[in-house]
Amino acid sequence: MSKFLKFTASIVLLGAAWATSANAQDADAGEKVFRKCAACHAVGEGAKNKVGPELNEIFGRVAGSLEDFKYSKAMTKAGEEGLVWDHDSLTEYLAKPRDYVKGTKMAFAGLKKDDEIANVIAYLATFSESAEQAAAEPDSAPAAAPVETASTAEPAVNAADAVIPEHGVYHLGREALPEEVAAWDIDVRPDGVGLPFGSGTVADGGVLYDENCAVCHGVFGEGEGRWPVLSGGFDTLTADRPVKTIGSYWPFASTIFDYVHRAMPFGNARSLSADQTYAITAYLLYLNDIVTEEDFELSNETFSEISLPNEENFYPDDRLEEANFATNVEPCMENCGDGPAEIVMRARVLDVTPDGDEENGAGGID
Amino acid sequence: MSKQPQKDKNFVPSRRSFLQGGLTAAGGAAVAAIGGGAALAAGTPDPAITELKDWNQYSGPGVDAAPYGVPSPFEAHVVRRDVPWLTADPISSINFTPLHELDGIITPNGLCFERHHSGVAEVDPAEHRLMINGLVDKPLVFTMQDLMRFPRENRVYFLECAANSGMEWRGAQLNGCQFTHGMLHNVMYTGVRLRTLLEEAGVKPAGKWILAEGADASGMGRSIPIEKALDDCLVAFKMNGEALRPEQGYPVRLCVPGWEGNMWVKWLRRIEVGDKPWQLREETSKYTDLMPDGRARRFTWAMDVKSVITNPSPQAPITHGRGHTIITGVAWSGHGKIKRVDVSIDGGRNWQHARIDGPSLSRSLHRFYYEFNWDGSPLYLQSRAIDEQGYVQPTKDALRAARGDNSIYHNNGIQTWYLKSNGEAENVEVS
Repeated sequence: MSKFLKFTASIVLLGAAWATSANAQDADAGEKVFRKCAACHAVGEGAKNKVGPELNEIFGRVAGSLEDFKYSKAMTKAGEEGLVWDHDSLTEYLAKPRDYVKGTKMAFAGLKKDDEIANVIAYLATFSESAEQAAAEPDSAPAAAPVETASTAEPAVNAADAVIPEHGVYHLGREALPEEVAAWDIDVRPDGVGLPFGSGTVADGGVLYDENCAVCHGVFGEGEGRWPVLSGGFDTLTADRPVKTIGSYWPFASTIFDYVHRAMPFGNARSLSADQTYAITAYLLYLNDIVTEEDFELSNETFSEISLPNEENFYPDDRLEEANFATNVEPCMENCGDGPAEIVMRARVLDVTPDGDEENGAGGID
Repeated sequence: MSKQPQKDKNFVPSRRSFLQGGLTAAGGAAVAAIGGGAALAAGTPDPAITELKDWNQYSGPGVDAAPYGVPSPFEAHVVRRDVPWLTADPISSINFTPLHELDGIITPNGLCFERHHSGVAEVDPAEHRLMINGLVDKPLVFTMQDLMRFPRENRVYFLECAANSGMEWRGAQLNGCQFTHGMLHNVMYTGVRLRTLLEEAGVKPAGKWILAEGADASGMGRSIPIEKALDDCLVAFKMNGEALRPEQGYPVRLCVPGWEGNMWVKWLRRIEVGDKPWQLREETSKYTDLMPDGRARRFTWAMDVKSVITNPSPQAPITHGRGHTIITGVAWSGHGKIKRVDVSIDGGRNWQHARIDGPSLSRSLHRFYYEFNWDGSPLYLQSRAIDEQGYVQPTKDALRAARGDNSIYHNNGIQTWYLKSNGEAENVEVS
């Protein structure tokens, strides 16, 4: 007996439970959920196969049985083994498609929420005659008050079937796949560790910068409004108002690449390719006179040639050396200071506390 | 009594309203809220007693009128506020905890200040993963359910932004402890020791640093030495008993007790173990401390011993006139517990021990009180905290002598409020 027939048999025992949840189905809500599917699947009048098969009359259809659609071998085989699409099989499949039919080419990871699954199935049922008939039968959906429950609860699994990994102390979590690590581990260090393969020139970066960056950072990196200034500021670090830029302050060029690649442009992060990021980084170095040729090409190979002028002026935290960190010195308790205290500075003079008509104060935390 | 009108985002119940209202109790809204009614001539019965109020007579809403409860409408002015000129855009900005409206040591979840670098990420916990990779025996991925199966602990910690009080380096600037000291909150976290997770993956001997990284669009990342990571860092999913608020990193954030708030990565999705620091943006171009010689300190992680009087303060004037008066405030240190808080009413010439009440926990806010008989004369109020390491909160002048005016971060100097005879308080500096 195939696993699908076994599953169908076990469902009989769960029939009562299913009937209760079936009552919460909402075809209208399911129409919204179906937007997640609509890139690949069509349903309704005139629906045709797209990346995935059309879904009219899906209820009662043998899996992998549309003659004009090219299924995965796994899906065709599942149909041959007896998989027929109905409420139960669709519920299982839509939760974790690649677990239910191993080898399906449907790339969708699955719907996480039980109510989303129920609703999208209810929506699909409105395009399936057999499903409509089943719903009309009086014993299929006894009336019961819908109960809101935590939607994040995972479907129950047989506890004894849980696979326990061997790693660690508590055997929790699973091993990260190399593709997963690669997808997230995009950080870049000053020694070049983490730099992706790629390259970009100052000239290319200028075009990209004007399109993506200049709106906030200014055409020459001078910064619009209170957006960060990226260029200039040389020899201002001891001035009354220092201008801390890539050229005047930042210690490492790797930080530019890392930050642009992970967080820029603001509001559309992770949208720049490695080559584009090299190009923009090259252009920012150019705006700061770190490189001077427009045809300079920054790449994972040339990156090590770059150093920023202020690197050597950073040093580790040495606050504890300050006199005011002396410990176990009993502070003065009586008659401290010279004469009575007098006001030397008042916030009212500046008047920058926000209450509707304030001026800008000094400082910023961008 | 009418409901409070302070829906206006920019309303600060301190200076103008207070000055315009004067001390007549019906004047400023803040006064009415605290005073609770008009002054009565002696011998006149109080209508709050003699008149039948609606709430004495009619039934109120039943249970479930607010399935998730909200504060009284009379507390509508108790909100986080921002300082619009500080930053370019509210998507990458900060607001401030209303310290002057709170007591005890715990900050309510909805009042914890916010600091985002690319807005509040709305993360579906079912689709959230925490990855540990790098110099480990086995890179691992955890679901939220996995995380909640590790042994949990509950700890109260303060979180202070390194830039708290950063606008005051050049002198008194903002009128209100909310603005001068409100990049601060204190919360009981429930979570799993980072050490436990790292041991599950197995840190290799070469692993000396970790990178903590968020899932938000800023990809917030900070390098943390392995000693701290294996000491008291917490991977937290609850705050004050309930799920983290989205603006505090739902579903999971890192707690780095006693260290600057920027390191407490929200929406935590990855821990990488490495042999060197990563030198990312928030630990090079930002959160480094520029010194007068043009050089800069980096990796200034610990938050030093600090305190502030929250009441009275510019947003919380004294409205009761002379007589028995309570001064209260909070004290904290990234180096451990607070050992003592001193209060001065004469600008630091003479000091008295304040009374600490409530739990005294390491790297948590401490609540202090100083009670005295105010004769109505002008005062210069200061508080000075001493932590269990023996570090004494310095004066702002001492800090400037060591660091100049441009280091932005780690201003833990003694705050002065000028309390005037009319009960109004102002942010000042004194000789």
